[in-house]
Amino acid sequence: MFERGSEMKKLLCIFAAAITFLFTGCASEPAKRSFFAMDTYITVTAYGDNAENAVKDSEQLVLSLEKLWSVTYPESEISKINTANGKAVKVSEKTAEIISFSKNMNAYTGGSLDISVYPLVKEWGFTGDSFHVPAQEKISELLSRVDAQSISVNENTVTLKKDMMIDLGAVAKGYACDLLAEQLKNSGVKSAIIDLGGNIRTVGKKTDGSLWKVGLRSPESDDLFGTLTLGEGAVATSGGYERYFEADGKRYCHIIDPETGCPAESGLLSVSVISPEGKLSDALSTALFVCGADKARELWKKLGGFDYIAVTDKHEVLVTSGAADVFELDVSCSDWKVTVVV
Amino acid sequence: MIRSQKFWIAVCAVIFAVSVIACVIILTRPHGSKVIIKQDGRVVMTLDLDRESDRTVEFVYEGRKNVLEIKNGGVRMLSADCPDHVCVHTGWLRSGIPIVCLPNKLTVEFADSEEDAVAR
Repeated sequence: MFERGSEMKKLLCIFAAAITFLFTGCASEPAKRSFFAMDTYITVTAYGDNAENAVKDSEQLVLSLEKLWSVTYPESEISKINTANGKAVKVSEKTAEIISFSKNMNAYTGGSLDISVYPLVKEWGFTGDSFHVPAQEKISELLSRVDAQSISVNENTVTLKKDMMIDLGAVAKGYACDLLAEQLKNSGVKSAIIDLGGNIRTVGKKTDGSLWKVGLRSPESDDLFGTLTLGEGAVATSGGYERYFEADGKRYCHIIDPETGCPAESGLLSVSVISPEGKLSDALSTALFVCGADKARELWKKLGGFDYIAVTDKHEVLVTSGAADVFELDVSCSDWKVTVVV
Repeated sequence: MIRSQKFWIAVCAVIFAVSVIACVIILTRPHGSKVIIKQDGRVVMTLDLDRESDRTVEFVYEGRKNVLEIKNGGVRMLSADCPDHVCVHTGWLRSGIPIVCLPNKLTVEFADSEEDAVAR
């Protein structure tokens, strides 16, 4: 009797010690991989047994997506579509899916997101190194070719009208986040955070069961203006504070308004969108940045399924009611006015 | 019997104590001032901003140049001879927001961050 009891105690003791030991392992060792791809800097951090292999596979997946979608790589599916001269081009399922999604988002957002605005992005010089303000006639001429609704996606072929060109810059990173999250989950990863050039996608919660803390970059300084606490989901930000050029004392941001053909000037400095999907957050952050505060609210009411935090040029922070509880303004911006959008 | 019991208790106590100490060290490790600078994926320099003197450092990649400024315990990209200057626009380094020069494959980031990520 005494002997059995002591065996039990021994086992319990070892068990308790082993569990404590395991905890220290969990807290210390995420698998983390940083690399350049898709025209940005990417970091994937994953926790758990197979995390090391899973993050390696993440890099491979992103590189394969880059090969499909890069506008500068002549063999990419997007380049083939852009140079097909009105002919149908056979594409992979993923490419068809993201183009079809972009076309739908163009309709839902009343044209504020348009992947066929690419010729204008190019003309303004945002694809290369020759930034300049084009002549109005040139802008009007290129604007007449912008028409996402005319893109035809049939099963696995895509057809553009002649002279049209597309670029997935506004949606590709978000969609890549979703595909990465899916692949990580399939590898058995239950907790991960993907930072794809500032597009954030989380898998599960943190290993200790707590929520992720995601900072929001201030459009006005090097710092953050607030933080979000999130479970699984996606956050994307669009703003004019990183990629821009200046000419004659005026700042031109890299996001082109498909209505004017010029860099967006909606009175918003940045828009961050929270939704369950990276591609939705990515597409909507661009669209809302372009259309401005009033229309953003309309779209939020109409479409649902997402929340946003927008900073106006008057330092007002507009937070939709669904995000009000997870958003916290940074102390450094305590003089900014927070308005809950309902 | 008693001796063996004591032995096991001691073994467990040691494992437990080591684990607890490791936990405390790992979880309370200060969010440091250690900055890691990588070019093309390789660490080319590490800085401890608490100890660095004010100066500028040049990084040359395929003939193109980035100039990093270290000043008053902060670090930023002072100039870059790439066309877009995104790295310069990023401003002073803060945790969670890496300074990235895509054309020259240069990254500057803190080893630790208060946030899990920063949307930007």
